[in-house]
Amino acid sequence: MKYISYVLLVTALVFSSGSYADVAVIVNTANGNAISDNDISRLFLGKLKKFGNGESATPVNSKASSAARVEFEEKVLKKSSSQIKAYWSKRIFSGKGKPPKEVDGDAAIIAFIASNPGAVGYVSSANVNDTVKVIKTF
Amino acid sequence: MKRKIKVISLFGVLAISPVQAEVALNGFANIVAGTTTSSDESLYGFSDKIDFKNGSLFALQATSDLGEGLGVTAQIISRGENEWDPEFEWAYVSYDATDELRFLVGRQRVPFYMYSDFIDVSYAYPWITPPEGVYSVPFDSFDGIGALYSSSLGEFDTTLQFIYGGNSDDLAALGDAPADFEDLMGLSLTLNRDWLTLRAGYIQTNMNIYLGDPQDNPLYTGWNALGHPEVASNFVIEDDTGDFIELGFQVDYENIIVTGEYTSLTLDNTPIADADSYYIMAGYRFDSILVHVTYGVDEDSKDSFTSGIPADSLPVAGLIAATNVFTESLTEESSYYTMGLRWDFHDSSALKFEYTSYSDDLNSNADAGLFRTAIVTVF
Repeated sequence: MKYISYVLLVTALVFSSGSYADVAVIVNTANGNAISDNDISRLFLGKLKKFGNGESATPVNSKASSAARVEFEEKVLKKSSSQIKAYWSKRIFSGKGKPPKEVDGDAAIIAFIASNPGAVGYVSSANVNDTVKVIKTF
Repeated sequence: MKRKIKVISLFGVLAISPVQAEVALNGFANIVAGTTTSSDESLYGFSDKIDFKNGSLFALQATSDLGEGLGVTAQIISRGENEWDPEFEWAYVSYDATDELRFLVGRQRVPFYMYSDFIDVSYAYPWITPPEGVYSVPFDSFDGIGALYSSSLGEFDTTLQFIYGGNSDDLAALGDAPADFEDLMGLSLTLNRDWLTLRAGYIQTNMNIYLGDPQDNPLYTGWNALGHPEVASNFVIEDDTGDFIELGFQVDYENIIVTGEYTSLTLDNTPIADADSYYIMAGYRFDSILVHVTYGVDEDSKDSFTSGIPADSLPVAGLIAATNVFTESLTEESSYYTMGLRWDFHDSSALKFEYTSYSDDLNSNADAGLFRTAIVTVF
């Protein structure tokens, strides 16, 4: 019996963390580029540096281990936090690039994207407002 | 007192300087412990006495972005096997000419292998170190210029790397032999799409390695005395050419990882064996635990120095026989299995366990089993 309640508890925890708020990928309202899921992933892995119209892209990350970041890495980049960390350590220590800059908190990310035409980021979908444009929700 | 004031004023200048650039510090460390499983065995620098020093290292990297696409980076590594003497292993100025084209000028890695660029960053790959059998070129760095061109080819992201430079460091692997690699040049191409990465590399260099006074080598003096300096010249490494080819692939599909590399090293007209090596690794990820198995093979050999030399006298016939004994002694065949586990127990650290079973196909006395464990971290 104790065992069953333990299993239920664990299941509940797993599901609740899995269904935590969706993550919305956002860009500046002036950004009219078509951006595929694969493009989003490549932008945040430093493999794609420009949008379709040739404008430079500036991806911004949420702080390490924030709920939105973990969710984004799992659903969009399809990697665990430690896999992403390993990926960036390859690039940092070999002069091939550095990870997107980190901005702390959804409000600050939205403000950054609203004031930078080439910025792209992600926030918890519950926090989105109309100063930015949602291109996809995961 | 005077000194103190100087220091304070220096800090004052730094703090108000309008051109002060921000310096980012990153680092990594591998603490490795290993021991062979039987008393008379040794492998990859480990013996049957448990050792924490041989494979351990500590590295710090300072990078500063100077603006306008210009950056400076220095990476200093202290290795246990070098008595923890810190050495600059990377020190370069980078320049981003465009979003696609980056130049690195200074000390950097030679792109021999798939994992060369981050060969010491154990956190970045499954093993404690990449398979020693393949990763056997005795130097990692060069001083010169590198160009990295990133673009896409159909569905693939591509990185083309070109290098030119040299390396005049003593070779620790050959008992600190003085060496000079000049006109070191190479090209590598990496294609990546989603879960698949393909890589090919080619490096060529002019080589000068001092292996001791050749006049002390009876084969060298003998061939010269008998009027065959072209055979004698095989026993010195002067203005010889080394060629290196690498082919590799990597599959990282959901929880499955498969990686393989093949390398071929050719050192014509030198008394060092040519080597063909490969390994293949397969791994499976269970959440934060990765288990992996690697199988690898090394084959060393040397073509005869004496083909086409007529055995027209007794001394020549004797020297041919002695020379052939030498070149045949360079033949080696070995293979190994490695079973390993990586556990990402922490955000920026992993714990690794590995067992390697090594067999020397020509001399079973050199067979060995090696157990290693490591804590690896990035910061």
